[in-house]
Amino acid sequence: MRKLRKVAVLSLASAVAAMVLVACGGGSSSSSSGTEGGEINGTLTSFPDYLDPQLSYTLEGWEGLWNVYVPLLTYQHGNGEETTKVVPGLAQSLPDISPDGKTYTLTLRKGVKYSDGTPVKASDFPYAIQRLFKLDSGGAPFFENIVGAEDYANSKADSISGIKADDATGKITIQLLKPSGTFENELGLMFAAPVPRSTPLDKDQTNTPPPSTGPYMITNVDAPNSYTLERNPQFKTLQAAGASDVPDGHVDKITVTQNKNQSAQATAIEQNQNDFMVDPPPADLLPQIESQYSDRFRFQDSINTYYFWMNMTKPPFNDVRVRQAVNYAIDPAALNRVFGGRLHPTQQILPPGMPGYQEYKLYPGPDLNKAKALLAQAHPSDMDITVWTDDEPDRKRIGAYYQDVLNQLGFHTTLKIIGGDVYFTTIGNLKTPDLDTGFADWFQDYPHPNDFFEPLLSGNSIHPTNNNNYSQTNIPELNKEIADLDTKQLSDPGVEDQYAALDKKYMEQAAWAPYGNEKFTTFTSDRINFDNVDFSLLFNLDYSSFQLKG
Amino acid sequence: MPPAEATPAGEPPLPVGDQAEVVGRSPWYLAYLRLRRNKIAVAFGVLFVLIVLFCLAAPLWADHVAHTGPNQNHLTEQITIGGKKTFVVAPNGIPIGPGLHSKFLLGADDNGRDVMVRLMYGGRTSIYIGVMAALITTLLAVAVGLVSGYYGGFTDAALSRTMDLIWAFPVLLLGIALGTALSVGGLQIGPLSVPADSLWIPILIIGFVYVPYMARPIRGEVLSLREKEFVEAAVAQGKGPIRIMFTELLPNLISTIIVFFTLNIANNMLLEAALSFLGAGVKPPNASWGTMIADGEDRLVTAPHLTIVPGVMIVLTVLALNVFGDGLRDALNPRAKIRMEH
Repeated sequence: MRKLRKVAVLSLASAVAAMVLVACGGGSSSSSSGTEGGEINGTLTSFPDYLDPQLSYTLEGWEGLWNVYVPLLTYQHGNGEETTKVVPGLAQSLPDISPDGKTYTLTLRKGVKYSDGTPVKASDFPYAIQRLFKLDSGGAPFFENIVGAEDYANSKADSISGIKADDATGKITIQLLKPSGTFENELGLMFAAPVPRSTPLDKDQTNTPPPSTGPYMITNVDAPNSYTLERNPQFKTLQAAGASDVPDGHVDKITVTQNKNQSAQATAIEQNQNDFMVDPPPADLLPQIESQYSDRFRFQDSINTYYFWMNMTKPPFNDVRVRQAVNYAIDPAALNRVFGGRLHPTQQILPPGMPGYQEYKLYPGPDLNKAKALLAQAHPSDMDITVWTDDEPDRKRIGAYYQDVLNQLGFHTTLKIIGGDVYFTTIGNLKTPDLDTGFADWFQDYPHPNDFFEPLLSGNSIHPTNNNNYSQTNIPELNKEIADLDTKQLSDPGVEDQYAALDKKYMEQAAWAPYGNEKFTTFTSDRINFDNVDFSLLFNLDYSSFQLKG
Repeated sequence: MPPAEATPAGEPPLPVGDQAEVVGRSPWYLAYLRLRRNKIAVAFGVLFVLIVLFCLAAPLWADHVAHTGPNQNHLTEQITIGGKKTFVVAPNGIPIGPGLHSKFLLGADDNGRDVMVRLMYGGRTSIYIGVMAALITTLLAVAVGLVSGYYGGFTDAALSRTMDLIWAFPVLLLGIALGTALSVGGLQIGPLSVPADSLWIPILIIGFVYVPYMARPIRGEVLSLREKEFVEAAVAQGKGPIRIMFTELLPNLISTIIVFFTLNIANNMLLEAALSFLGAGVKPPNASWGTMIADGEDRLVTAPHLTIVPGVMIVLTVLALNVFGDGLRDALNPRAKIRMEH
């Protein structure tokens, strides 16, 4: 609880600072001069999974949607650690939390309108949460702790009884089943962004995204090729309502296009034909770009973990010795080369920079002999496995490396490479055949270690579709530990250590084979006011900070 | 005795005087003689044979010289060059280039795989696909051409419009569409099941898309041949349509088919490379010259050998097949104007 108040004070301070900046015509954390208006173009290697705020659960999606849909609470704009702070979005302030930690009360700002002119109502919030359950969204587990959510998900109720919204006063009360140390963070996720009740409850709206509340609105979607953001004419209503932590944009139009060729993306930026790229330049061009364009290129910290998942529900990976063998065989240093040296080698779940991270190494190696010995002990009944990865260049190489390692261990493997835009929804669908093992990564949703355990490793998070627990890990005693820890505040004594211990327990079970934490980059064209470009630890590039040079 | 009359190079001298005797020569022997005179075609034919032998030697090179397989990664290994230990793939991800070292003679790729070994295995894949797809194209095209040209009427109209329909799609687009559609679930037609990662997927796709390009000229030849006297004679003798097609028409089409088959292999190899480059052909990590170019695409600056080496092999092979095919056409039917046009 103490931490929450600290955040509130900090938010207030930053709100005042932001108001001053807005008044000065700024809006971003930087004070560099630039021009307002204009059009820019960006590229990404894989189109977002969805452009529906209740469904998108990839970095590509959230990066684009962050400045389109504003939840009741949101995350501070800027750079580095400050971007992990929860600040009021559509809500007037951070929530009032009851002493038992189970009731959250917020009040919607008055007079805010969606980009189509529809007034934002308090009841749009519970509607958004209902959509999560009706859509089987990967974000639904974050809100299962709300009273009545389970009944609603199981169609036993017409609404979620634990959410009361009064359209007249804008008051929203959320009742939780048990206290949560992360709920405030979860209210800041894209999943909880209110949408008008005219939005279909159970249909993906990627091709016709709901109207926006942020500085930009999506005006054109040509999935999976491109989408366009344009300034939201109603954003002034949010600013007028005092949402100083949500800055306005600078450029009028941003077109983001998919291009599978990262070299072509980077070359286009070098030649000022493209203004930014979501993914880092390819390793081939990285040294040259780093030296030649130091005035518009920089590395960025990012909180993430790259890992191989192994389906624990069926042979061969239902045997802990087999999973441990894979951990012994994987060489993070080898995979670092695939990333062109941008990978911090690891063998644990929590990444550096995340509370609870304590460095350890359970599987020193690579040790193929030890791995083979473990496999010989396990003697799995099924050695024919399918290895999954997507079609982005470095991920294809990761897949090829992993397949080779598994072949060396004696498995008979088939490498399955599918499009990056459908990869996670495919491996997140439990009906997909041959889900044995494959590539995955995870970028923090919010700066809390629970975010690396609850959605990814808790048995309660296994869902038929949009599943994020790709290993289908379900260890009852550890499920309980995750749930117990979730009721505590991170600032409580010993909680971070308990998360560190939990990390180790999962790795003793070898639930994953983690191998690295990736560094990201910002690389823009010469047209962009580079000093102004912000990079969030949660959403990566901040499109509202893009500004053309004056 | 007058001197023997000068003959074109390569042919035995013509007998003269009392020894003159008419020696019967089969059309095949005459074609052989004509082909032998075409030194350039022969040279490129030999080049193609050498390329095939080079590719067939892949396991020997992999086992006895390079000591690594085509898909084996060596990301953190070091080799000794000039007494100095060198990483196969540097920590910043740049792979070793070509050099006179038994392992990695043509350098390594991003995953530390031996480019020479992959080139040889990739060549086997590319040539295998080229030849097998050409066989499928030829079988289907001959069947369609014979039936369509011989029967005429409704059969001809139906088959010709079907061919036109396939022809209407650009080969590459049709190949990509089919390759993408079959890349997830493979091919299931009745009892026939082909897994998505099987080489038979690109073989069947490539074999299928080129059928009209061969079937149409064959049909044209059949249309002409069926009016000939020997076909009328066969009909008069009571031979059935199938027998006429196989015993009268097909032997007269053989030279055309052989030429088309050769040129088709070259086209198939190019299409395979294009499809694999675009991810709709051979599936990684299997090596083909097309997948090798795709793998090297992101290393054009720091490791250009990854694209140049397989690119040169494709150029050489296709050039060899085209020049040899042209020579074969000139030898088998000097007046023919057979071309694979698309």
